[in-house]
Amino acid sequence: MKLYPIWLISLAWLLVVGCRQIYEAPVPYTGPDIPGAGKFTTSIRQSMEGVYSVTDGSDRFGDQMVVKWTYLREGNDTTYYLSMFAGTDATYFSLAGQPQVDSLALAGYWRKLSNTETGLAEFAVQMKHNGQLQNYAGRLATGDTLVISGLYNDDKAKPTRRLTLTYNRPLNPEPFAILAHRSGGRTSDLLPSSENSVEIIKLASRLGATGIEIDVRYTKDGVPILYHDNNLNLRLIQKNGLNGPIEDYTYKQLTNLVRLINGEKIPTLEEALEAVVVNTPLSFVWLDTKYIGPMAPIQAIQRKYRERAAQLGRNVQIVIGIPSTEALASYEALADKTNTPILSELDTAITRTTLNSPIWAPRWTLGPQIDEVRAMQKEGRTVFVWTLDEPQFIREFINESRFDGILSNYSTLVAYHHYTKQ
Amino acid sequence: MAQTRPTQRRRFLGLGRSREEVMQRREKREKPEQPCIYFPQAPQPGEWRRSVGLVFTATPPEITEEVRVSVPAIDLNLQRGLTKNLYVVGRLQTQFIQNSLNLGLRYAMPLSEKWFVSAGYDINGWMGVLKIRDVFDAQAYGVSNYPNVSVGYRLTRTLQLMARTEAIFDFYYHSQVGSLSVDYHRPQLSGVAFAFALEQPFYKKQHVTLGIRAAYSRFNWQFWSLYETFDRPLFYPQLFFGFIL
Repeated sequence: MKLYPIWLISLAWLLVVGCRQIYEAPVPYTGPDIPGAGKFTTSIRQSMEGVYSVTDGSDRFGDQMVVKWTYLREGNDTTYYLSMFAGTDATYFSLAGQPQVDSLALAGYWRKLSNTETGLAEFAVQMKHNGQLQNYAGRLATGDTLVISGLYNDDKAKPTRRLTLTYNRPLNPEPFAILAHRSGGRTSDLLPSSENSVEIIKLASRLGATGIEIDVRYTKDGVPILYHDNNLNLRLIQKNGLNGPIEDYTYKQLTNLVRLINGEKIPTLEEALEAVVVNTPLSFVWLDTKYIGPMAPIQAIQRKYRERAAQLGRNVQIVIGIPSTEALASYEALADKTNTPILSELDTAITRTTLNSPIWAPRWTLGPQIDEVRAMQKEGRTVFVWTLDEPQFIREFINESRFDGILSNYSTLVAYHHYTKQ
Repeated sequence: MAQTRPTQRRRFLGLGRSREEVMQRREKREKPEQPCIYFPQAPQPGEWRRSVGLVFTATPPEITEEVRVSVPAIDLNLQRGLTKNLYVVGRLQTQFIQNSLNLGLRYAMPLSEKWFVSAGYDINGWMGVLKIRDVFDAQAYGVSNYPNVSVGYRLTRTLQLMARTEAIFDFYYHSQVGSLSVDYHRPQLSGVAFAFALEQPFYKKQHVTLGIRAAYSRFNWQFWSLYETFDRPLFYPQLFFGFIL
């Protein structure tokens, strides 16, 4: 057999493998988001939340949208954000009030998480009174309807295309946990912040999340940090010549030498929980156990931040995930298991008898498991399902199953289907 | 020198050959000199061709992240000539728990003694079942179409090269987890693929195919159980190797 064709194929293979396209979706909006509510008083914000029908722009964003407010606290400042969620392509809008304008004006950006489409958007909040559009001042008479009308465009282009939303009904009030995977979404979702960073924790509620899941590992010198993969790699960090297990590096080395893909520092678990408790309205944190080692340091941090949340008057659940028999062994080795909420990803028997876990979290690929879910809920347990991203299955799970929450990379889509459920 | 020039000119124009010589050359062009599967040349009417091999598909990092594996599948090809130019092709790729079957028609014709071309249309059906305790209770199946054009070049009597371009159209997708199922009926252009292969003798009378395929598509049947949701073409490089039987 002649060997030169093999070399030809090998060369072609190298060329082919080297031709991978890099996708990007940079946020076109440059702000600034000015702290304070401006003209958007509490009553105006509350009255705006709901399910809206989309008239102009439905070809791009579907025929209805969810409108919901959230906030971010930094020191004594609170910035309010209006999020809008569409049912197509996991779309979200992140908008902030424009206090310099003498009306209820909003500006920001939109993004489709399943692809790279993004753009600028600006809106005004009005009301339809006797068939006429008027500025909204916070009072609605019987028969009046809120209308959010504005413009959007693609990428950095000045918004010129019409998008009009008309209030249809209130949000579905049923309690439901919308849990954002890796504190907001994967790096491959091309979000403006890296997965497992403080910055994406601060973004999570704008993506519709009511809680987050974060991945915990130890550094070489035993500092619990957030990082998903086994190794330092170019999927998650900027090029710096370092590689190998993250456990081979001290916290100081990681802080000084490593930046996440969007430039952020790898956060400690304490920094992450501080951000959740102090800066965000998030009410649930799932600490995914990616480490092999003692659980006691994680337990101590969990207790510290549960107390800190209570001191601040916040109801934040912080639970340690038990995904494997190794994690189960670490949990069982704890000297004192009181005041240590956990979440079991193991089977129902271990969840009930060995762990007596208040939360059970099976994989979504097992289906709705309606009988098992009902039985667990009857025993007073909460049941979440993970990690569900498939758009139609998100809708099916919300409408047809009985889970108490969904962990997803597309919290925007979970929010859309949950709040529009009738 | 002066005597050879007219002879060379006559040969170039195909003149000065006996009828037998012309017929022999035509037969040689139309009948494969060596077995082929990918090379765009139709088998004789009624003639069967078959090959068995492996195809390795590398996982895209967008889906499997830091885990990079090359997933092997058994690759069986079967072809039969219908007319002088038209032939039917069948291809089964199997990993036992998930399988893909292509059925298609190709029309191939020689352009010269060295250059060949074909156009084809393949219909692909795939299905997979995964039942793993506490992990999977899932199954899925779907239909895709691959219109394709191939160009072949016979480099020597024993080495032939093929380049193929395929469009990948997804037509139907059904997925079920437990008692819940979803269907996608919308036909869409999922992506394109480019393949390059060579076929040559390997050992004694054995012949082999060795090739690569670079697919840029929104969906790949081998990774249905990873439920990739990106609405953008991802890159699936493949390496294939087969013995022509």
